[in-house]
Amino acid sequence: MFSLYKKELHSFFCTPFAYVISSLFMLLFSFFIGSQIADMTSSTIKFTYPDLFYNNIFYFILLIPLLTMRTFADERKLNTEVLLFTSPINVFHLVIAKFLALTTVFIFMLACSVVYPVVTAMNGEIIISHLISVYIGFFLWGIMCIAIGMLLSSFAENPITAALLSEAVMLALVWLDTFATSDFIARFPKLQAFIAMFTAQPKFVYFARGLIRLSDIIFFISVCVVFLGWTMISIEKRRWNRG
Amino acid sequence: MITISNLTKYYGKNLAVNNISFTINENEILGFLGPNGAGKSTTMNMISGYLPMTKGTVTIYGNDISKKPMDAKKSIGYLPEIPPVYPDMKVKEYLKFCAGLKKIPVTKRSEQIDYVMRKLKITDVSNRLIKHLSKGYRQRVGFAQALLGNPKFLILDEPTVGLDPEQVAEVREIIKELKKDHSVIFSSHILSEVSAICDRVVIINKGVIRAIDTIENLEKKFTSNFIINIKIDGDKEKAQKTITSIEGVKEIAETRNEEGNVNFFSIILEGEADAVRGKLMSELMANGLSIVEISTEKPNLEDVFIKLINQPVKKETLSDILEAMPEEKETASDNADADTDKEKEEK
Repeated sequence: MFSLYKKELHSFFCTPFAYVISSLFMLLFSFFIGSQIADMTSSTIKFTYPDLFYNNIFYFILLIPLLTMRTFADERKLNTEVLLFTSPINVFHLVIAKFLALTTVFIFMLACSVVYPVVTAMNGEIIISHLISVYIGFFLWGIMCIAIGMLLSSFAENPITAALLSEAVMLALVWLDTFATSDFIARFPKLQAFIAMFTAQPKFVYFARGLIRLSDIIFFISVCVVFLGWTMISIEKRRWNRG
Repeated sequence: MITISNLTKYYGKNLAVNNISFTINENEILGFLGPNGAGKSTTMNMISGYLPMTKGTVTIYGNDISKKPMDAKKSIGYLPEIPPVYPDMKVKEYLKFCAGLKKIPVTKRSEQIDYVMRKLKITDVSNRLIKHLSKGYRQRVGFAQALLGNPKFLILDEPTVGLDPEQVAEVREIIKELKKDHSVIFSSHILSEVSAICDRVVIINKGVIRAIDTIENLEKKFTSNFIINIKIDGDKEKAQKTITSIEGVKEIAETRNEEGNVNFFSIILEGEADAVRGKLMSELMANGLSIVEISTEKPNLEDVFIKLINQPVKKETLSDILEAMPEEKETASDNADADTDKEKEEK
């Protein structure tokens, strides 16, 4: 499993891939910081990083499919899937190794963004606990998106299809939150409560407010587990249905 | 020893491989021969554990590939038709990754990698990106990967396709050398290649095994009879009678009318051609028939191959039909079972 993890990291970091995607992420982040600073009119210079991250997730979800699109679709395209399935490793190892590698790239992206709070801390004041909370929330949000992206990559024949499919699902994920709070659904409180159970964004809001709730952590982790499990099933199923 | 028994694969409703069974012995090169689309790659993929089988078992040195895949896969080295290489990796990096994947102990990895690179003559490209290599070199890198970890059983799916003649010869030499310590199954659609290096051959077409034997036995079995092709000017029936009356003539395989009174006969002989030919010519002339053209031939292995892959699956003689009856009943009931299963699923 470790060799597969290393190979995945190699494919991200020894090619421009991880750097290009991190740059895109930083570009988005910088736009937001820039516009927030430009928007400030009062004499007290004050903005919060949690707000910044909260605004960022809507754009960030469009980046994740670019990261996950190659996961399985590329192996299929290159015919290297044969190598993986005829080696003495099982599907569980395969999926976990790839998930960990993607998580590592994501952590690298997050690490890049730390530069802004550091610069701010050098010249002003930041609430460390609040910042840590939002980073945890953002991390959990990110790994959830990675798990979803991996599943969709396991469905697709080529990376482009995987990316487009993931973009659609990510948009649906955000749309679900809007839908759950719509007037139409509000008319059916039970249905609304049911849909709200599956919406991820309100759970992220708690982290953005500096509140780490065990239930939210469990939500994100269980979504990951479900999607990774589904990915394993999907890969096995594809092998059976090939042809 | 590797045992393949009753291997069957359905792709949806299409039957790709139909109930095939054979064994591969220690230190043996088994050729897997068949035209394109015969089911060779599907079979190879099932033996290697890449594709699950619909029915049947593959046992590799006592480990069933479906029940104990981890143990079974440790003794397999597989080179698929398209070499499974990552274009963005350097050759040595790729082989290091494969060594890790095959769980070769860390201390032995570099020694193993050096060995396979020397064996496949790719040491000089070890630091080049695979995407910059030619087809031949990529094939060798894929082959090197299969040899890593010194697996006892090697599955090579058309390893010489797309290589230049020199490379083909080299790869053949390597396969021959491998026989010392490995069992090899090697697929090809080129007969000469298989007959040059294999101990035994399995001939397959449309998912069914047509023959399993050594090349020598196949040659003996199917090419022992000489054939005389002759064109005779004269009465057809009279000519036929004369030919069949001659000792040494087994049967007339083919008759057709050429121009006017000239008829063509293809005669299968029992013994040597020379004696029969003389007799045949004198008898025909004594009966007032004139010979327009005569030639003798011995069918070669290529003809045997074509004949085998094209022969109908249906049993021809009554005894064959009777012999095959319980087997066919079994398959029929299996199919019926499969159908009812499908119906259940649909419901």
